[in-house]
Amino acid sequence: MKILRVAAEGFHSLGLNKLRTFFMMAGTIVGVAALVVIMAIGRGTEQKVMKRVQAFGPRAMMIIAGGGKDLPPPDMTVTTLVLDDAEAIRNEIDGLEVVTPQAWRFDMDLRHESNQTQSVVWGVEPQWHDAWNWQVVEGEPITADDVATMARVCVIGSAVKRDLFGDQDPLGKEIHCNKVRLTVKGVLEHRGVGGMGGVAEFDNRIIIPVTTAMRRVMNVDYVGAIRVVTKDPALMPQQAKQIRDLLHARHHISPPREDDFRIITPMAIAEMVRGTSGTLSMLLIALAALSLLVGGVVLMNILLISVAERQAEIGLRRALGATQRDIFMQFLTESLAVTFLGMIVGSLSGYGVSVLLARFTPIMTVASWEPLAVALAFALLIGTFFGVQPARRAARLRPVEALR
Amino acid sequence: MIELRDIEKTYYSGNVATPVLHGVTFRIERGEYVAIMGASGTGKSTLMNILGCLDKPTGGEFHLDGIDVVNLDDEELSHLRNEKIGFVFQQFHLLQRTTALRNVLLPLIYAEAYPDDAEDRADVALTAVGLEDRMTYRPHELSGGQQQRVAIARALVTDPEIILADEPTGNLDSRSGIEVLAIFKRLHRQGRTIVLVTHSDDVAEHADRVIVMTDGTIAEDRRVERPRDAERENAERTENGEQREETVT
Ligand SMILES: Nc1ncnc2c1ncn2[C@@H]1O[C@H](COP(=O)(O)OP(=O)(O)OP(=O)(O)O)[C@@H](O)[C@H]1O
Ligand SMILES: [Mg+2]
Repeated sequence: MKILRVAAEGFHSLGLNKLRTFFMMAGTIVGVAALVVIMAIGRGTEQKVMKRVQAFGPRAMMIIAGGGKDLPPPDMTVTTLVLDDAEAIRNEIDGLEVVTPQAWRFDMDLRHESNQTQSVVWGVEPQWHDAWNWQVVEGEPITADDVATMARVCVIGSAVKRDLFGDQDPLGKEIHCNKVRLTVKGVLEHRGVGGMGGVAEFDNRIIIPVTTAMRRVMNVDYVGAIRVVTKDPALMPQQAKQIRDLLHARHHISPPREDDFRIITPMAIAEMVRGTSGTLSMLLIALAALSLLVGGVVLMNILLISVAERQAEIGLRRALGATQRDIFMQFLTESLAVTFLGMIVGSLSGYGVSVLLARFTPIMTVASWEPLAVALAFALLIGTFFGVQPARRAARLRPVEALR
Repeated sequence: MIELRDIEKTYYSGNVATPVLHGVTFRIERGEYVAIMGASGTGKSTLMNILGCLDKPTGGEFHLDGIDVVNLDDEELSHLRNEKIGFVFQQFHLLQRTTALRNVLLPLIYAEAYPDDAEDRADVALTAVGLEDRMTYRPHELSGGQQQRVAIARALVTDPEIILADEPTGNLDSRSGIEVLAIFKRLHRQGRTIVLVTHSDDVAEHADRVIVMTDGTIAEDRRVERPRDAERENAERTENGEQREETVT
């Protein structure tokens, strides 16, 4: 095939001037590398979003005491969110599977015999287990009876079990929490770290009946949050609005007064997670676009200079029988080969940077093959776009003039 | 073989017209060895460009092997050049940083069908010009005479009907010039058509026929009674050279 032979001539020319070839590639390398990193960060972010949303509960919403726009932790000093609010939501909003109030305190001292630890104490209803999809692996969960009787019982997280009991069986043992003695009736399954702020250690907690928490442990008549789980995620935005309206009415809030609660949805969580990596991605997109553009222009200019420098060569090839098309294809090959090579080098560099980012920074990246397809498309696009003009100029040189 | 009738060529650049050829008419038969002479600027190179199908005349008729060249388009002209014409230039026009072998293969790249034995052909062509031991040398590793011989091998590799050489010895010393002319002489003996432009009477005497141009027309067209034989002269010269070397040592 003649076209292959002509293309081979293009490759050969590139090999003859490696420095020039490198400069022609530079823009594509940086641009493609940035593209690959962007996409790795994008995928990493989405994976993080998925994880967070999964941990939060994809069908869950949290109504949290305290206004403002920030995410948890809730404002412990706000006292207006009460059990009756939960009851009202349960009765008046349709399509909710679970509505469960929760009261909690951070940094509570726990003690078992001589072992001590600090933990988060959650006052919950039995639905909590389903609302968080978080079951016990040993013993029993919190029951409606426990809530009704203000039972002095607790279910402990695996970290608490480790800290207070070591290898011992904790079931039936007593722990002291704020001078209240609680009997361990169960152990929660292990969950690791993560959560709404991303820093919570999930397993460092105990859960107790919400009534016990409010009356006996914390001595309050309000809760920190109400967790609801919808039957249909599609209804979520609407239900969030209904809940907001309901609470506005119950708390006698109308504009200009600020809300004394916040409703946190999986969408809000996702937005927050994306937000942190968004700025970096924007920067990288700008870098990629800039280097691809500048690189393309540089490529075109070097090619144009090279066409001018190689007039005699072009004239010679024409004299020896190269058609305009052959010359065009040779120069287009040079352009495409350069961007293709640049794409490969750029992809590898981008992959390397992604791995380094994931290892040495909090940025999560997931390398995958899709960016290669995108990078290839970009490389071919740029190679063609910026290569056609010089190639056409080369092809249009008149042999007699070029040979002179 | 080559048939020119009333060939005119006028260069146009903007509003300026430069008439160069004013009605050139001649025939060159297959196997002829023709030298074209004339003062600088009379249009020899212009005529060669037309003969080589690199440029079109602005008037007149040109038939090459019976083909009406004037009416061919650019692509057809390219194919015609590739198949029928071998060029040798004053400035050699070799691809730099590229081996002699690869330079010689160049015309075959643009052939309609790349021959299976392309490398062998290049080998044969380089051997024919005495460069069998310089195949992998690059132009800057070769003398001017050797470079011009690579260029001749390149012109030969497609086995063209015509060799067009515009001052092929212009950049060479007399010894390299004789070597090149010896090759032309041998090609001529093998039956190839050769058209050569030169300023030098010495060079022109190697041809069978001399066409002298003045101001874009043919002033003289004559047979050479007893053409010089560069092949023999070259052989004698090397013999003498060897003898001299022997006496020195
Ligand atoms: N592209 C062009 N545009 C305008 N004029 C040209 C062009 N090419 C050649 N000429 C003119 O045509 C005339 C003949 O040029 P040509 O190169 O054919 O001469 P030549 O006989 O080969 O001369 P030399 O012996 O110096 O090589 C010159 O006067 C030159 O200026
Ligand atoms: Mg000339």
